[in-house]
This record gives sequence, C-alpha cells and structure tokens, in this order.
Amino acid sequence: MIELRDLTRRFNGNVAVDSLNLTIEDGKVFGFIGPNGAGKTTTIRMITTLISPTSGTVHVNGLDASDPEEALQIRSHVGLLPEIPGLYETLSAYRNLDFYAALYGVPIDRRKDRIKELLEMLEIWDRRDDIVGKFSKGMKQKIAIARALVHEPELLFLDEPTSGLDPEAALTVRNFLLELKKEGRTIFLNTHNLDDAERLCDTVGVMRTRLLAKGSPSELSQQFWGRTTVVHLHSISPAMISGVRGLSGVTGVQQDGDHLLVDVTDPASVNPDIVRELVRQGGQVESVNELKRSLEDVYLRLLGGGK
Amino acid sequence: MRLDKLWVVAKKDLAEFRTNKYVMYSILLMPLMLATVLPVIYLSAFVMMPPATQALDVGNEGISMEIIDQVVVNGTYEDTSFLRCELRDVVASNCRFEASNLTNCLVRDSYIGNSTLNGSALFHSNYQGLTTSGSTLSGSVDVSGVNEDIEFLKQFISFLLIFFIMIPVVLPTVMASYSFVGEKLNRSLEPLLATPTTDSELLLGKAAAIFIPCMLATWLSFIPFTIIVDFMVSGILGYAPLPDPVWIIGVFIIAPLFCIMSICLNVIISSKVNDVRASQQLGSLVVLPLVVFFIVALAGVFTLGPEIMLLLSGAVLLVDLAIIYFSLKTFQRESILVRWK
Ligand SMILES: Nc1ncnc2c1ncn2[C@@H]1O[C@H](COP(=O)(O)OP(=O)(O)O)[C@@H](O)[C@H]1O
Ligand SMILES: [Mg+2]
Repeated sequence: MIELRDLTRRFNGNVAVDSLNLTIEDGKVFGFIGPNGAGKTTTIRMITTLISPTSGTVHVNGLDASDPEEALQIRSHVGLLPEIPGLYETLSAYRNLDFYAALYGVPIDRRKDRIKELLEMLEIWDRRDDIVGKFSKGMKQKIAIARALVHEPELLFLDEPTSGLDPEAALTVRNFLLELKKEGRTIFLNTHNLDDAERLCDTVGVMRTRLLAKGSPSELSQQFWGRTTVVHLHSISPAMISGVRGLSGVTGVQQDGDHLLVDVTDPASVNPDIVRELVRQGGQVESVNELKRSLEDVYLRLLGGGK
Repeated sequence: MRLDKLWVVAKKDLAEFRTNKYVMYSILLMPLMLATVLPVIYLSAFVMMPPATQALDVGNEGISMEIIDQVVVNGTYEDTSFLRCELRDVVASNCRFEASNLTNCLVRDSYIGNSTLNGSALFHSNYQGLTTSGSTLSGSVDVSGVNEDIEFLKQFISFLLIFFIMIPVVLPTVMASYSFVGEKLNRSLEPLLATPTTDSELLLGKAAAIFIPCMLATWLSFIPFTIIVDFMVSGILGYAPLPDPVWIIGVFIIAPLFCIMSICLNVIISSKVNDVRASQQLGSLVVLPLVVFFIVALAGVFTLGPEIMLLLSGAVLLVDLAIIYFSLKTFQRESILVRWK
C-alpha cells in the first residue's frame, strides 16, 4: 500500500508537486495522467526514495521513506521503469538483468529461471546474449521492464512505459501490463496515453502540480457530466422532448439528430419512465444506451484544453 | 556497508571496461610506454655514453699523519694527509693532498683535490679540481666527473618514479569518465539508484572497479621496469638500484594514495561535466600539480629519501581524506538526480 500525505516538492522555489494526498491499495493499478512538467516523474521519484520531499510524507507498505534504513527496504519492495531505460549498452541483455538480480539480492540459483521466465514472456529470450546497444527501442523497453520485475517486486512503478514506442512494441508492452495486472501486482503508471490509462487502470489521478481529480475512469466522467441516457428514435417530435423534460429525475434534454440525450440522476429508475413517456407520445424507440465519455473528454475538460 | 553488493557493482563496471576499447588501450599501452619503452630509450643514452670511469681504489683509508700549513721539502711520505702545504722534491704514495702546491714531486696511489702540480708526475691516483703545468698524469682519474655522472644517473632514475605516479593518476581519469559521466549520460544511474544499495556501496563499488585494475597495471609494470633498470645501469653504478626504500614507499604507498585521490576528484568532476572527453581533460589537470611537485623535488629542493617519502605519504593521505569526504557528499542519490548537471 502506498500512502502519500501532503506530499510537496519544490525545485529552487518552483513547486513541482503540491500537497499531494493519495492512497493506493494493494493489487490496484493506479494511472497518473497529466501534461509534461505536471510532477508525475517527481512523484514517482519521491515514492521510490530517489529524492526526498520538501514536505509531507511517503509510506510504502507502512515503511517511512524518510528513514534511510526503511528507504532501503522500500527499494527492495519496488521495481522502477524510469522514463529512459538506461541499460548498459555494451553488455548483453542477460548480463544487464543478472546484474540487477544480484543487486536486488535474488539468490543465485533463482536468477537464471527468473530471467528466462521474464524474457520468454516478453519474447526476447532468443536474443539474451546480444549486446543491448544493438536492440530496437521497443526491445530495450522490454528489457527495462524485465529489469524492474527481476526481483518480483510487490509494487511496480512505470514512468511512461509506451511513450516513443512503435505501435507493435507498444501493444506488446500494453498486453504485458495487462498480464501483470491479472497477477495482482500493485502498479503505479505514469502515462500520456489515455487509452492505456482507461484500459489498464482501476483508478486514475489527473495531475498538474496538484491532484485535480481522482477516481475510476467512469466515476470521473460521472463526476463531471452526471449520467446521460442516449435514446435512438425513428423520429423525434417537440412533444416528446417536453414530455421527457417533465419527468422527475431528468435534469436536461438535448436533441442530436434522431438521438435524444437525457441527463438523469439515476438511470436504473428513470430510464423505464423515459421509454414509457416516449412510447406514449408515439415514438419508435430503436435503442437505449448510456453515453460513454472517454477519459480524454475528462482530461481535456479538467485541464481546460477542450469543450 | 555490504561488501557483496559493492563487489556486484565493481564486477559490472569491470565487465563494461572490458568492452571499452579506449579503456583497454589506455590500461595496456600507458604502463607499457611509461614502465618499459621510455625507460629503455632514456637509459640507453646513459649506457651508450663512453664507459664511465670509476674512481680508482687507491687504498688511502689508512691515513696515519696529518700535515697542515707546512712547507715540505724532500722526503718520502706514505699514508699522510697534507692540507694547505707547499711541497717540493717529495715522493708520496697512499697520501691525500688538499689545497696544496706540489713542485717537482712524484705521487702515486693517492688523492689530490683542489691543488696545483708543477713539473710533477701523478700515477694511478684520483684527482679533482687540479691545475697543472709541465706535469704528467698517468693512469689517473678525475673523480669530479665520475661523481657528477653517477649522481645524475641516480637522480634520473628517481625521476622515473613520476611515471609510477602518473599511471595510477591518469588511468582513473579515463576510466572514471566512462564509469561516472558515461553512466550519467546513458541515464543508467537512476535505475541503479532505485536498487536496495546505499550510496556509499555504489560509490565504493565503482571506485574499486577503477582502483583494482589501475594498481594492478602499476604494480605489474613495476616488475619489468625494475628488471630493465637494474639490467641497464647496474654495470654503471656497480650495484642494482631497484627496488630501494624510496621506490617501495613510492610505488606501494604513494601511488595507491594518489590513485584514490584521482578517482575521488574525478567523481567530483563527473558531477559537473556532461562530456566524457571534457571529464578526461579536466581529470588530467590533476596530474599537473604532481608533475610540478616532482620536478621541484628533483631540482634539488628536496632529496627524495625515505623520510621525505613517508612525509609525502602522510600529506597525500590527508588530502585523500578530505577528497573522499567531498566525493561521498557528491555521490548522493538526491544530488545525482537533482543537482548533477
Ligand atoms: N532536477 C530538477 N531540477 C529542477 N526542476 C526540476 C527537476 N526535476 C523536475 N523539475 C521540474 O519539476 C516539474 C515537474 O517535472 P516532472 O516531475 O518531470 O514532470 P512530468 O514527469 O509530469 O513531466 C517541472 O516543472 C520540471 O521542470
Ligand atoms: Mg515525466
């Protein structure tokens, strides 16, 4: 479990992270989204005990990051994929991983199996003896991910794992992360890619120096727009609109071609009333759905960049 | 401090050094040049000079009489020391003359210093600062020259000690530039710092990976160097000059201390520099003060005896302690990620 309390970091007086309060439960995937310079990397560095907060506290599995001894233990529980892989380019893939396995204290008889397991999952076991410098960006990223997992950490920190990768490599990485999610690992994911966040994350935090919003992707969309029912009709008459508007539990009605967008407080109880009213007015209902707003809509609205 | 982690870090750096041809070239070629090729070339100059004459063994240890400020005319003398005397028609053997004038004398198996010879003959003797007129010198040796040559050769050999300081000072500038600036540019320090290792384990591991090969190169090259020097000059000096206490202290105490200093200085430089080559050049500036010191020392301000060498070791050790402290301060997680340029 990760607990951040009033976490603040300044660089020469400029605030990079401002009073961040956040709790991430075990086994959850948390997505941190925000523009460049939002303080996402700085937050990961503070949690992984690489830099210290200006104020506030970090606890990982109950261990206090400000205590050097406990920080050492935190580091052995977490795996980190930094923004830039930072592999040893003149050493082989295997040697890179073996070095980290040794530093993380993986017993020598367990190392080979573990490295093999990871590289096979990432489909690069055949290339284990090749020099990392010869690898493509996507392959380097895979090795860096394997490196972050070599000691089977309970918590995994991934800083923009798919950024800058070609679509195919990005897909392998994304699928691999889904696998990890199934294994029940706690994952902290910094990302630009809202698709990734939507697909992978249980909870998302939108960050711009401060934490602007937090919740599951659908919670966020409800939080900002309430819930909207979309009714597809053969044709729409003004009487239908005013009839629906008069129902209790309906907060707004909008027409979009042959779709009626109805803002409702509780779809489960109001939707049947809406359908009944429309049928009473002679409407031919073709379908009833809930309007899905993408994380992108939430993000753009929060950051004031869009609609 | 866990030595096993330190060693894991050191082994990784050593593996990287093995793949780096600049490091490998430096570590092989520099000792080869400084410890074998250059000494052979320099010492050949001495060996090829006309065979240096040695002072004759004239056996005048057994002086039994001293004559000072006297005029001595006629007579035969043995085992006598003359100081500021006027000698005429004297026959002398196994004697010493200092600041005297000899006229019409016959001298053998003796030593004459800073004197004049008029119409006299000198056989099988050592002399120095002699003015002669109408005299013969036969089978005798000007010992002033002999000593100068020998002294110069001895000084020159101690000058070569500077090579054994340069090897462990210059090699780390090459290796540290790759090990520290290289890792910084490659951005591989961040994942390294995320491991459960302490800052000092990482720093000492990386330092050990530089120290061990540098000192091995220094010490291993000292073996052929000793053989070469002894082989080439023992004929001239009459004894094998290496190893002697000055060299033992120099190579086994001062050289490693300078090596540590160089490594730590280069760690500090690495935090400010973003270019492997710039780091090497700055690092080499460390060598200059040492060169200056040794040249001053050899110019005769100091004579390099064991005492001065031990004193120097102590001084270098003090500087080392200060620089180790600063490099530990520099090599901290937070500084590396936030303040390193
Ligand atoms: N080492 C540093 N020194 C000074 N400012 C920094 C440093 N690291 C990050 N910052 C600043 O902190 C802010 C947050 O940066 P970062 O955490 O990297 O953002 P993100 O990862 O979300 O793009 C930025 O304004 C950045 O310029
Ligand atoms: Mg970032």
